[in-house]
Amino acid sequence: MAKQKITSSSTAEYFSKNLQQVGFSSPTKAVLTTLKEAIDNSLDACEDEGIVPELYIEIEKVGAGTIKNTDLIRIKVEDNGPGLNIEDVPKVFGEYLASSKFGRGRCSRGQQGIGISAATTWAQLTSAKGARIITKTKSMRQAVSCLVEVDVKNNKGNLKDKKTISWDRPHGVSVEFVLDGRIQLQGEGGLITYLNGTALVNPHLNLRYKLLDQAVVKVDRVSDKCPDIPAAVEPHPHTMKLGEFIAHSHLFGRTTVSNFLKKGFSRITENTFQEFVKHGLNKKILNQLVDKTTDSQFKDVFSAIHKTELMAPSTRSVMIIGEETFSKSIRRLGEVDFFAVVTRKPTICDFKPVAIEIAVARLKSVQKVEGDDSPPVQVLRFANRVPLQFDKSACAMVKAIETVNWRSYGITQPKNSLPVGPYVFAISLVSPFIKFKNASKETVDASDELVEEIRRSLIQAGQRLSRHIKKEHREADLEEKLRHIEQFCPILVDCLCRITKAPEKRKKAATEGLVKLLGRDVNTAKKELDEALKHHKEAHAKGKIQIVEKKKAETEESEEDLKPPHPEFSEQSNEVIVKAKAEKAATKAKKKAPTKSKEKAKEKEA
Amino acid sequence: MREDTIPKLSKDLCNRMLTDLESARRPVLEAIKCSLDNSRYNPKVGYLTPGDKRVRSELNVASVQKMSRAIFILEILLRNIETGAVNTKREIYYISKGEVKHNPELGPLDFTDQSESDSIIDFICEMMECYREDLNCYANDRGGQTYSNQLVVTEALPDGTKAVVDLSSLGTSPFQPKNRPQSLTLKAKKKIDFCLVVESEGTANTFVTNGFCKRNNAILMGAQGVPSNAVRGWCRLIQDQLKIPIYFFGDLDAYTLQNIFRTLKAGSAASLIRNSDFSAPDVRFLGVLPEDIKKYDLADYPVKENDIQEARALKKASDVLKNDPFFKDKKNKGLARILEWLLKNKRRCEQQSYFTVDPRDPLMPEKIIIEKIKKGDFI
Repeated sequence: MAKQKITSSSTAEYFSKNLQQVGFSSPTKAVLTTLKEAIDNSLDACEDEGIVPELYIEIEKVGAGTIKNTDLIRIKVEDNGPGLNIEDVPKVFGEYLASSKFGRGRCSRGQQGIGISAATTWAQLTSAKGARIITKTKSMRQAVSCLVEVDVKNNKGNLKDKKTISWDRPHGVSVEFVLDGRIQLQGEGGLITYLNGTALVNPHLNLRYKLLDQAVVKVDRVSDKCPDIPAAVEPHPHTMKLGEFIAHSHLFGRTTVSNFLKKGFSRITENTFQEFVKHGLNKKILNQLVDKTTDSQFKDVFSAIHKTELMAPSTRSVMIIGEETFSKSIRRLGEVDFFAVVTRKPTICDFKPVAIEIAVARLKSVQKVEGDDSPPVQVLRFANRVPLQFDKSACAMVKAIETVNWRSYGITQPKNSLPVGPYVFAISLVSPFIKFKNASKETVDASDELVEEIRRSLIQAGQRLSRHIKKEHREADLEEKLRHIEQFCPILVDCLCRITKAPEKRKKAATEGLVKLLGRDVNTAKKELDEALKHHKEAHAKGKIQIVEKKKAETEESEEDLKPPHPEFSEQSNEVIVKAKAEKAATKAKKKAPTKSKEKAKEKEA
Repeated sequence: MREDTIPKLSKDLCNRMLTDLESARRPVLEAIKCSLDNSRYNPKVGYLTPGDKRVRSELNVASVQKMSRAIFILEILLRNIETGAVNTKREIYYISKGEVKHNPELGPLDFTDQSESDSIIDFICEMMECYREDLNCYANDRGGQTYSNQLVVTEALPDGTKAVVDLSSLGTSPFQPKNRPQSLTLKAKKKIDFCLVVESEGTANTFVTNGFCKRNNAILMGAQGVPSNAVRGWCRLIQDQLKIPIYFFGDLDAYTLQNIFRTLKAGSAASLIRNSDFSAPDVRFLGVLPEDIKKYDLADYPVKENDIQEARALKKASDVLKNDPFFKDKKNKGLARILEWLLKNKRRCEQQSYFTVDPRDPLMPEKIIIEKIKKGDFI
């Protein structure tokens, strides 16, 4: 073995050389990740203190970047959170793995304390300047402004240019980065997609943002209630490894093993001790002190625990947005035609509590491209209310969508792929322990249990949607049938009469007969539509599906719209006219260009 | 079918429909179901015949478009019959477009592509149980180029005159049979021993140029892939009028056997109503036979997994063995065995591989063919 000097590096040194692992793999992603980390910190801080968040975001180009094909970008995020004490500022923005949330088992957005320090490092590496912070807590008279830089060698944050300034906010933090990057607004990795997604799963968020030269966009909150973040629960013993288990025992001071087990874990009670003994544990070990317990005794305890069947972990630590609030929030996505929201009861997947919420909406703006050739549905993925925007194909949520047979709900879907059409699928996964595939938290690991749980939620949403889609199909079917009567009846009778050289009398009689015949078909179609309408009404009444109300002008029927399908038939069959009136009333949702019959009817009226 | 039958049948059909409509009854159009599940094979007859299944189209809101289109196209075809004009399917498609253009009220009948009008023409044929040629709608005369020094063809022309073609006077130019072979009469100037149908048009041409017809009292024909109506009808005519043995020489692969040879010998499921005139049940499969590969040490090669067409043909072969009444019948056991061999060995051998036997002798394939005929080495 060659004699080489072994050196140690700091965590900051490691991350500064491997920023691609935490979301800074390209200039475009650098801008998005910086914004994302700043917003996550702000929202977490607000929710911890029960403050309803108000964020202001500004992103602009301020020059050319030092890296080829990049711009110098200024990103500013201001919040109304509790503010940071000045001594915490270097830790939060300049030190890696300094976090108030690490391993606490809560459903917070940030966990390890890497993201925002990585953003400071990126800014420092590309523009030679760290993060500019303004902070003010309730107890501070004036705000403090400073520049934080990362001391890469020692993994510490350094404060520079510290001064007090007056700030017209009672409390909050403003963070500003100047860094090299590229701005992408639209598309899956776009800033607007990210901001819309954040607004969707944070109904209590008031968001204002100004991107480049565009006007300020305001997204108002739809709920005034700050979500209750459930308290963390103790870990479940079956989720631990032996080394972890022994290390965990030292956190509870000089206490007995039984006390440590009861305090340190969930789902362990006096009764379970008896089970441990049944599985071969020496009862004496339970009563001895933790610091007197040897590693082999810990191993005995550990194996007895694993042999014993314990209750599944509690799902109390999982928070949900709720169907009502989610329903309000989804309308902020754009002009929504109709949607279904499903909030599943929290459950256990891979021994971890998980809650899945689904919103599937059809957007009006892209309705025209529905069909086989239309692009795949838009998938919005959220993990602990943070949008995930990259590497979607390997994600548990996308895999779950692909396994559902959407065709049975009336949505077009190529084989083994995402469905297509003007739909948005928003899937929110909340859990204190989300298993990401990478450190940049872009993809959720697709374990079988998790995919199945998401799949079930999607099926529920699909069933709710299908009631509306089926109703639409029936309406379209009826409309098509009416159109067929109008178009083909005279042609068919004319052709037959020409070939047989039939007199006018026969032609008239045949036309009457044909109208009667086809009128019966329309009646059948109407019955089917009535059935679909009934199901749809039931679903609507139960709140399982929501239709965004249309403007009055769109829904009101004019007398002209209720004219019979073909004026020629109006004299001959009252039956069809009555049905047609009823049908037109039901199918008028789609406004169409006036048909020949309407024009003829108008002429006739005149 | 007699020329005046179609107009009469059409008028009767339209009259029936009108009468039904007058009394508010649903008119029904009925046609023979032309599909494999309605195909029967009687070894005594030798070709696929229709079963009892019929396709019924009852007039309702969903079918009113199809019925209107059928009557609309029927009117065009009747006009053609009346004036004696003939058209191809594509021309009918454009004629229908022209009708719509000049009469906007017919707009809803407009076809978006030719396949739509083609299926309507086929539906009319199935309904009337006639050939499209009976409706003056002709297909392009493809394949069937024939060479012989003994054959004389007499064609009855529509104007009542006759045209006599002595194939020996054509030199190396072929005689091209028509899609309506019923108007042709065949006569042999001298005894003809056999008729050889070669799958590849190019190889048939090579044989003629090398003097096949000079050395043999035979009819030589190029099939040019899947036999067209012209080839099928022409072979039937040779079989019926000359009563000579007919041999088919083609590739040894699943496609040739189930698509080309079966269509020539027993017709197809899609043309059940006209197989009686468009199939030659006496035609025999001369080769390439699986045993020829060893016997003549022919160059064969494995079926490539990534060749979609070949892979599909092999997959179809296993279905055919289970479902096709032609291959299921005892009479065609030999042919079914070849299909089984192909499925098992996944190899194929082309007709041109006979040229490998003696690369310096251009007549070697002909010699092998004649030898096989003499020895009765065919199925």
